[in-house]
Amino acid sequence: MMALNPRHAWLRQLAALTIVLMVWEAAGRGHLLNPLFAPSPSQIGAALVDLFGSGRIWPHLNATFTEALAGLLIGIVVGIVLGVLAALVPLIAELIEPVMTLLNAIPRVILAPVFVIWMGIGIASKVALAFILVAVLMFFTVYSGIRQVDRKLVERIVTLGGGRWELVRHVYLPAVASSVLGSLKVAVGFAFTGACVGEFVAASRGLGYLLSFAQSTYNTALMFALILLILVVVLVIFGIAGRLEKHLLRWN
Amino acid sequence: MSLVGPSGSGKSSLLRAVIGLQKPLAGTVETGLAPSEIGMLFQDDALLPWKTARENVALGLIFNGVEPPRAQEQADVWLQRLGLAGFGHRFPRHLSGGQRKRVALAQVLAMTPKLLLMDEPFASLDAIVRARIIQEVATLVERERISVLLVTHDLEEAISLSDCVYLLSQGPRAHITHDYRVPIPRPRDPVRARMHPAFAPLYEKLWNDLSREVDRDQRAESTV
Repeated sequence: MMALNPRHAWLRQLAALTIVLMVWEAAGRGHLLNPLFAPSPSQIGAALVDLFGSGRIWPHLNATFTEALAGLLIGIVVGIVLGVLAALVPLIAELIEPVMTLLNAIPRVILAPVFVIWMGIGIASKVALAFILVAVLMFFTVYSGIRQVDRKLVERIVTLGGGRWELVRHVYLPAVASSVLGSLKVAVGFAFTGACVGEFVAASRGLGYLLSFAQSTYNTALMFALILLILVVVLVIFGIAGRLEKHLLRWN
Repeated sequence: MSLVGPSGSGKSSLLRAVIGLQKPLAGTVETGLAPSEIGMLFQDDALLPWKTARENVALGLIFNGVEPPRAQEQADVWLQRLGLAGFGHRFPRHLSGGQRKRVALAQVLAMTPKLLLMDEPFASLDAIVRARIIQEVATLVERERISVLLVTHDLEEAISLSDCVYLLSQGPRAHITHDYRVPIPRPRDPVRARMHPAFAPLYEKLWNDLSREVDRDQRAESTV
């Protein structure tokens, strides 16, 4: 068997993808595929071009981004604050941890209908869903991140003459930062899940809303175009988060 | 000065009490030194993983009021003294076990302690690295006139490094049962010290006394 050069893996993957797309396209044009179920790549491409060409996509992209990023930000902040408090104050840990464990155990998207009833079909209910997905994740990340700080590191700082503030600054804060950064990618994914699912349930704009519209009108080309678009959006944000992680956690 | 004794005789607890990590249940610890004049080298090289070697070494100095740029300069000097010139920018993860031990040592020595406590500091190192680091520590300690209180399981290490070895009895309620003067002159090389005529008889005596302590414990166990 021929040895494969691992550096050229992406080339082979790209070639394979091209072939799959070409076969798919040919099958579509040869009327072997029902366009109602599987529109050809060119039709999906056309739908994408139309979305951007007509400018119809922008308010939807805008809505989804706003919801996901707002949910992400509030979720991270609240998750960190609760995680730190629980790690430092045993009483708070006793009260919060069971709730968080419960929230962690259920698929939190089932809360979507509740949030719609509480906050309406506007942006707030989606932010809330993205928030609850991210906050629970961040709480556990930070809570266990602090509790797993090595006792020996703490003792080392103390024997070198460090006090409470030095411990927070040189041991606990970096521990929190590294745990948060370590799960940032997952959090980004969760935030977009929350926003899209929320829109899917009830909304008047957003990628999830557009997706549910495409589904109800059997517009599969639009559906696939949107799935592709969400994929690209999340990949780009993953890339940014990955860069950030690599830079800030370069000691690891 | 070394402290040897069976496991559970409280050697480590004693060191922890001296540096103030643990409060003695009764009695007080008198060193006549300020806390910043006592340094401690642990068995594990617990360096902060997110700080470079240089930053780790500078840490203690900064805690004690040295301006960060000055502290970093001094850290570099100490790293160089311990054979780590050019490794200052590396993170602990990218250093070998021996190198991490040297960084930990530089971190403690940079504080110019008058008393250095060491809790089995070389146990985790392989033989050659261990012998070299022990030699360097002995030289530095003699030159800087630092008192050392060493806790160890290794009788050779205890004799070759100390002027005085104390044997702790089996715990609980452990106490010092024997003390031994080491008649090997200073300055001394801990590797060559093993060839000194006084070494072997002292080693044998220590070994027998320590064995008796351990046996005593086992007899106690079998009568239960």
